Amino acid sequence: MRAVVKNGIGVFHPQGFLDGNSSTALLSIDDINATLKANADIILVSLKKVIFFNRNGLDTFIKMFNKVRSANHIIVGFCDYDTKKYQAIQKFYKDELTFSLFKTQEIANLFSNGYKNQEKNVLLYSDDKSQRTAIAIELHDNGHNPIVTQSQEEFLEKVKNKDAYDVIVDESYLGQMGQQVATRVTGNAIIYTLSSFLDAEIGNTFNIAYHNNSLNVGFRLFIFDAYKVVSMNVHALNFFSKLASAAAEYNATICFVGMTFEKTPMTFKETLEDAGIMFFEQMNDILENKELLEELGASSAAGAKNKRPLNKVIVSELANFVDATVATIEMMTNAQAIKEAANVDKIKIENPENKIASSIGFYGDIDGMVMLVFPIDIAKKSCELLIGESTDDLELILDTLAELVNIVGGKIKTLLSDENVHVDITLPRTYRNVQGLLEIAGDKKGVQVDLSFDNDKFLFFLTR
Amino acid sequence: MITREKVDAYIQKIPPAPQALQQTVLYLKKEELTKAAHSAKKDLALSAYLVELVNKPIFGFRNKVEDISQIFGILGVERSQQAVYNYMISLLSPVKWQLFALNRSSFYDLQAELSIKWQIILEHLNIADKDIQNAITLLPASIIVSEALFCEKLDDVKLLRSVNEIDLNTILTRLCNLDLFDICQIIAAKWNMSEKSAQIIQASSGVKPSEDEEINRLGKYMHLLLFFTLSKPEYINAGLNDFIDFQIEYVQDVYNDFAKLMEIS
Repeated sequence: MRAVVKNGIGVFHPQGFLDGNSSTALLSIDDINATLKANADIILVSLKKVIFFNRNGLDTFIKMFNKVRSANHIIVGFCDYDTKKYQAIQKFYKDELTFSLFKTQEIANLFSNGYKNQEKNVLLYSDDKSQRTAIAIELHDNGHNPIVTQSQEEFLEKVKNKDAYDVIVDESYLGQMGQQVATRVTGNAIIYTLSSFLDAEIGNTFNIAYHNNSLNVGFRLFIFDAYKVVSMNVHALNFFSKLASAAAEYNATICFVGMTFEKTPMTFKETLEDAGIMFFEQMNDILENKELLEELGASSAAGAKNKRPLNKVIVSELANFVDATVATIEMMTNAQAIKEAANVDKIKIENPENKIASSIGFYGDIDGMVMLVFPIDIAKKSCELLIGESTDDLELILDTLAELVNIVGGKIKTLLSDENVHVDITLPRTYRNVQGLLEIAGDKKGVQVDLSFDNDKFLFFLTR
Repeated sequence: MITREKVDAYIQKIPPAPQALQQTVLYLKKEELTKAAHSAKKDLALSAYLVELVNKPIFGFRNKVEDISQIFGILGVERSQQAVYNYMISLLSPVKWQLFALNRSSFYDLQAELSIKWQIILEHLNIADKDIQNAITLLPASIIVSEALFCEKLDDVKLLRSVNEIDLNTILTRLCNLDLFDICQIIAAKWNMSEKSAQIIQASSGVKPSEDEEINRLGKYMHLLLFFTLSKPEYINAGLNDFIDFQIEYVQDVYNDFAKLMEIS
């Protein structure tokens, strides 16, 4: 099948009934590659003329999307659907929605590189708070004016005045824009998902660079969701034993959840336990046990042994890092940032009380980590847009802060990629107090930039 | 440009049915199954076709059925008639398909699938009209005629499709001022089929709805059935899925009923 390519968006138009069999016959990886050659930076499958689809039918497309997405840094997904189809997709994928959804091609246009700076007034609503923000920021980035509505009532009220907006964005979803390895992060734990047979191939599929950088950023708890693992062979056993030894150098913990040993020798479990890996039956055994979670995820000074000096390449990109951060926070707080001072030294935090922090690592052509230290009030203000209301719940603020830092990381990635510097980002981690941050970064030299937003002090630190 | 004269000439060229076949059709119309079977046996090609058809998995017989009287008995008058129509159409089938990646066997499968599912729909709708039952045979027939017409301009067709994502039905209309469903109508006339059959076929295009409510409703079911069948991988690979434009809005009101009937979940 051939795609129609317009404004940098390649759209395939299947028609009829989509199941696993028909989807394979309709679209091939060659068709997608041909579309990429036509300079498409978004590849979509239109569901306009599809009267029936099931999960298998969509999965076939998604597998192909995943093959090309990370290699080409493109947006992939579906478009042209009605509410019923949108809800069906949401139901099929729930938390695994890795691709994008655009209700119409007109909406997809707003995110295309071929359609930048058109200054469209865009009314936006998503019932998912983080989606609202992610979409707003992308729209802003692409030179449009997003008008974000925080509730469905507000949206329905505003939508009555249709003529006031060029485009109305709802029932849309921005999936991963680039490569993402870990499925999710909760608290300060990273959860990786494993499935079927674990053999020598794990060495290729597991992104060790990502994992090492997550260690470097300060993550200390890694959970392998192994509910869907059938068996493990000796090659995989060696792999995980080595991974556990490496983690031990950082005082990090590796856990396996849901792994059964029906088809794997029990001796393997003992070997892994000897290497320091912990086994749990249920994910909630860890996640709902806050004390345990805190104990396992607690950072330690061991990170300091991996001290690396800043280098010229990173410092030369400093402007990009600061710009990405400032633009994001400015948008969130609706306040202008003033740069007060910049220094190369160890991190220096004045008045450490009532401050929280977050960090995100990047790796690839260059590697390092960005740390942001916020007074709790400015953190609250920045997060208000994401949460939709003011809150004093520290957990919620920390989670939202992680999301905000994730957005900063994504922006950095885009800015660097414009200069042909390709990096991937780790998941963000948060620190409920300055002490936790200092354990990771206390001895590291880096570039510190002090910023102020409406007289609120805010600290940016770039290090390796 | 393929002129209307050329299309007519092609359809006229369809060889007259052999005597045995003509008799079979005649007896089936009179609902005289024994005499029809007797005539059919004289035409060895027709007999072989009927045996092959009825033993396809879609009919679900455990043991091979070979006796023509038995086959007509199993199929009943309407389906026997349809089978014979399908045979007449298959006589036109090219030895080598050039535009659509079909062969004798996959074409027979297509005929069989459409016929059987159409029968299921009509039974569900309590319709026993033979003309309506036979209307479905026109769709595969028109695919054969289209293939022949396209082959005359194969390079043009391929060029047009390489520069633009354009459906074959539109190309067909541009080449000869007739679409797939117009061709069905001409064939229906040639085969002395009723006006009603042609009307249902035209309605099943999804773009030429009939003013007659019943015909329109049947057209919707047929449009859906066509796409349900053409969404199977073998017909997608054959290049048939994007032959015509699927009119999703047109069929919306009968879809749930259709999905239930075809056990789509």
